[in-house]
Amino acid sequence: MSLFSTGLSGLSAAQVALQTTSTNISNVYTPGYNRQITQLGETSPSGGGVQVNDIERQFNQYIASQLNESSSRSSALQAYDTQVSQLDNLLADGEAGLAPLMQSFFSSLEDLSGAPSDPAARQGLIGSADTLTAQFRAFDSYLDDMQSGINGQVRDEVTQINNTTEQLAKLNRQISLTQAKTGEVPNNLLNQRDNLVAGLSERIDVKLSIQDGGTYNLTMANGQPLVAGNNSYSLEAVPSSSDPTRTVVAYNDPGGSTIELAESTFEGGTLGGLMTFRSETLDKTQNQVGQMALALAEGFNEQHRAGQDLNGAQGQDFFAIGSPSVFSNERNASGASFSAEFSAFSAVTTSDYQIKYESGDFVVSRAGSKTPLDPQPTAGTDAGSNTTLSFDGMTLTLDESSGAIAEGDTFLIQPTRNLAGQLENVIDDTSKIAASAHVQVTPSLKAGSTLAASSVTIEDGFTLPTTSIQMDISISAADAANDAFTLSPNAPAGSQVLVNGEVPADPSSVKLSAGDTLSIDGISMTFSGKPVDGDTLTLSSDPASGDNRNALALQSLQQGGLVEGKASLSEAYASLVSDVGNRTNVVQANLSAQSVLTEQLTAVQQSESGVNLDEEAANLIRFQQFYQANAKVIQTGSTLLDTILGIR
Amino acid sequence: MRISTVTMFESSLSSMNRQQSAFLDVGQQLATGRRVVNPSDDPQAASRAVSVSQSMAVSQQYADARVTARNALSQEESVLNSVSDAISSAKTLIVQAGNGTLSDADRSAIGSELRGIYESLLGQANTTNGNGDYLFGGVKDNASPFVKQGGRIVYQGADSVRAQQVDSSRQMPVGDSGLDVFSGVHAGSDYVAEATTAADSTLTFTGPSVRDAAADGFGASYTLTFTDATTFSITDGLGTALLTDTYTAGEPIEFNGMSITLEGEPKQDDAIEMTKGQDQSVFATLESALAALESPADTSAKQADLSNTLSSVSRQLDNSLDNVLTVRASVGARLNELDVLDTVGGNRSLNYESTLSELVDLDYASAISDYTLRQVGLQASQKTFVDMRGMSLFEML
Repeated sequence: MSLFSTGLSGLSAAQVALQTTSTNISNVYTPGYNRQITQLGETSPSGGGVQVNDIERQFNQYIASQLNESSSRSSALQAYDTQVSQLDNLLADGEAGLAPLMQSFFSSLEDLSGAPSDPAARQGLIGSADTLTAQFRAFDSYLDDMQSGINGQVRDEVTQINNTTEQLAKLNRQISLTQAKTGEVPNNLLNQRDNLVAGLSERIDVKLSIQDGGTYNLTMANGQPLVAGNNSYSLEAVPSSSDPTRTVVAYNDPGGSTIELAESTFEGGTLGGLMTFRSETLDKTQNQVGQMALALAEGFNEQHRAGQDLNGAQGQDFFAIGSPSVFSNERNASGASFSAEFSAFSAVTTSDYQIKYESGDFVVSRAGSKTPLDPQPTAGTDAGSNTTLSFDGMTLTLDESSGAIAEGDTFLIQPTRNLAGQLENVIDDTSKIAASAHVQVTPSLKAGSTLAASSVTIEDGFTLPTTSIQMDISISAADAANDAFTLSPNAPAGSQVLVNGEVPADPSSVKLSAGDTLSIDGISMTFSGKPVDGDTLTLSSDPASGDNRNALALQSLQQGGLVEGKASLSEAYASLVSDVGNRTNVVQANLSAQSVLTEQLTAVQQSESGVNLDEEAANLIRFQQFYQANAKVIQTGSTLLDTILGIR
Repeated sequence: MRISTVTMFESSLSSMNRQQSAFLDVGQQLATGRRVVNPSDDPQAASRAVSVSQSMAVSQQYADARVTARNALSQEESVLNSVSDAISSAKTLIVQAGNGTLSDADRSAIGSELRGIYESLLGQANTTNGNGDYLFGGVKDNASPFVKQGGRIVYQGADSVRAQQVDSSRQMPVGDSGLDVFSGVHAGSDYVAEATTAADSTLTFTGPSVRDAAADGFGASYTLTFTDATTFSITDGLGTALLTDTYTAGEPIEFNGMSITLEGEPKQDDAIEMTKGQDQSVFATLESALAALESPADTSAKQADLSNTLSSVSRQLDNSLDNVLTVRASVGARLNELDVLDTVGGNRSLNYESTLSELVDLDYASAISDYTLRQVGLQASQKTFVDMRGMSLFEML
């Protein structure tokens, strides 16, 4: 081989090497770029020259896969953190949150019990009730906004994922075509493809498998393919069939049908983070706030109805609150539906439930759990012979007017999800506040009777008589011998009659003597004096504007176990704060650990594939000299030739 | 390890970011003075802080209730003060009227003075507070509790009074019903005797006085009746005769631990009723005194009547005064209790405050040293970044 051709091969190799170096330099900050190395080799078979064997892309599939997996987790946690921090911030406000407003609500009840007939105190209570309910509604609407925000983000993510998978399928095709046409590896297309896989991993957790020909196939965590060779299968954001207010992801499978995917399918990527946050934290928080609203409304109403307002009328509901939400699955075969009502607010939990009609039975389970409730509620019938189900403080009534229930029908029940948004103060007339609970006992005595009922007091859990109760007194011979008398309380059905705090043998006719205390539905009185056969005592409610018994009872609800019958409102709020705080804390800790891991893997990946400018500067000098040296070879060859030609 | 240029920039950038965010966190803590800004900073402390601040709010509610209770009780106390003064003056007038040398005109003058006291007592019984609520109406405080009906004053308020939650386990009555103040007598009150005599009887009584309060039957009601002008019998409340004896003027009659002295000439069916601890309205007492003082006592029988009425009234006024003083003492005791509860409640609030502060407030000393440390860290990472920027082979070419 001649010096010329050897030098020339060196020159062109140097040019390629310089080209590669400059490509590396120019792409130093290009995302997804993998540095290239010019692989030189001797020319064969005669030898002597140099040839460019390959422009090798420095890419390690194993490290890339690890990095993708890690960044998938990172971005899931990142999405979760962004959302949960909003809740964390919402609860951080110590001055305007729910807790201080509940406190000021109860403190205005204290003002009311200090001056029960004072219009200013009454107006103060209505004002603070308005503020409190508005804050509950605002809290709920913030959470609702987050729900619809997540719906929107899920739609966006799905669009982006579909774009990416389409591009990946196209790239698969382009790469195999280019390779077939030119026989060369199209490094820039490979970079693009790997970059798209990395981008996709940040949105959804995917598994990559590489076919023989270098084609990328991508599947979701549940094994369903997103990209297979030249084909891609799209996802779709659809309203959930069980709850139309919720956007979920459906899969358009190769067979052409659309399958709704469970939220638990997605764990990694932004999509997984959003789904996990929604089902794990947002739903629960909204249910908890709803449960608090329910406990406040129903607990307060119950006590308020027991009292008397300024006009002497029985108290009405103070707060309005909604009922449980029930959704019939839109895939149900029948048009049957359930309506639901609360039957015992203190038994209502923060769970959502699913009802499935299976071989003639209703199977109730907590939403997201496959195991049925234990014990299962037994179906009953109401007055209109409709099927009813009662469990966890709710009564559900089946409505089959638009079709009998069919096998496999499912229903979703969200007892407290939207309740906080429906909490309203319905009392705006100051005189309608039932602050008092006052009764009187009017004797109607026969001649010579000295009977008196004194210390008429109202105890916790009282019920005022709706109509006057006339208690008749008779004295038998045996009574007279014992210095006792017999009293027929004539209390309405279902009343609780106690003598000295104990249930008497026969509540409809009790034996008493002077000094005994009789209590009817929490209203107690002590007898003295000597009765005469035929005496009557009439117990009737006796409205008094200055009485504050019911206001005190309402005030004591602040510390009563209203929520699930055990926690006070403030304790329920504290547990909400601690739940959200813990969740945020855990997510932030996981996120920072995962971020460090991702950073380390990025550094490893970059140490293999990243461009180092110092290195490239050195290469630039090296290949420049390489070029100059080869040019010298050609110059030498020319000199040699000139020498030969110069021989005369 | 081979380091790529991007890694160099990014790792120093991310370390700078980390330093910056830690620096800002401490800065936020310093600015707010709180260690726990968000619940996630310390979930347990944040949730305990909710409970503690609830306890603080409840404690404040009790403190507010105590202020209301103290106002009501103080006002009641000052009214009761005037009421007891008025009853004392009435008592003085009654003693004055008992002077046998007074003429009808003198007694009538005393009567009109007594009427003034009577009216002023009525005014005090119908006192209202700043809200226009009647102090002595019990829970029916929106209408005058004491009203004149047919020349007599009757009570139309309630016998129960409002209570306030002044501490976690104490509901304190913040008043006393008019019935208790103006019509009640306390358990230790004296026997009151009331005579019903024939128009021409000159029977008068002195007493009754206590000989032995531990005697059987002491405390029950008795009636002394003259079966004829010389014989009397004593019966108990159920009509059972206790003793029958011959009447000797000026000789004390003793029975069941008490004694009464009779004088003058009784007629058949003259009766003296002796009761103890029976409720008696101070208004009714004054009304009977007024009726007696405003009618002439021109015969010895009428003078005997007057003397009997004044004796009864005097004893009844004593009982009423004792009762008002007892109520006043109970008001004073409640005011004292409020003072004690204030001290206890104040301590408790202080405890809550310090607990809350320990839970969420910032330890400035450590936060400031942290702040300085973070500042140094941030500056160092910034310096590294700037230095690294200049470190390139290209700079040397």
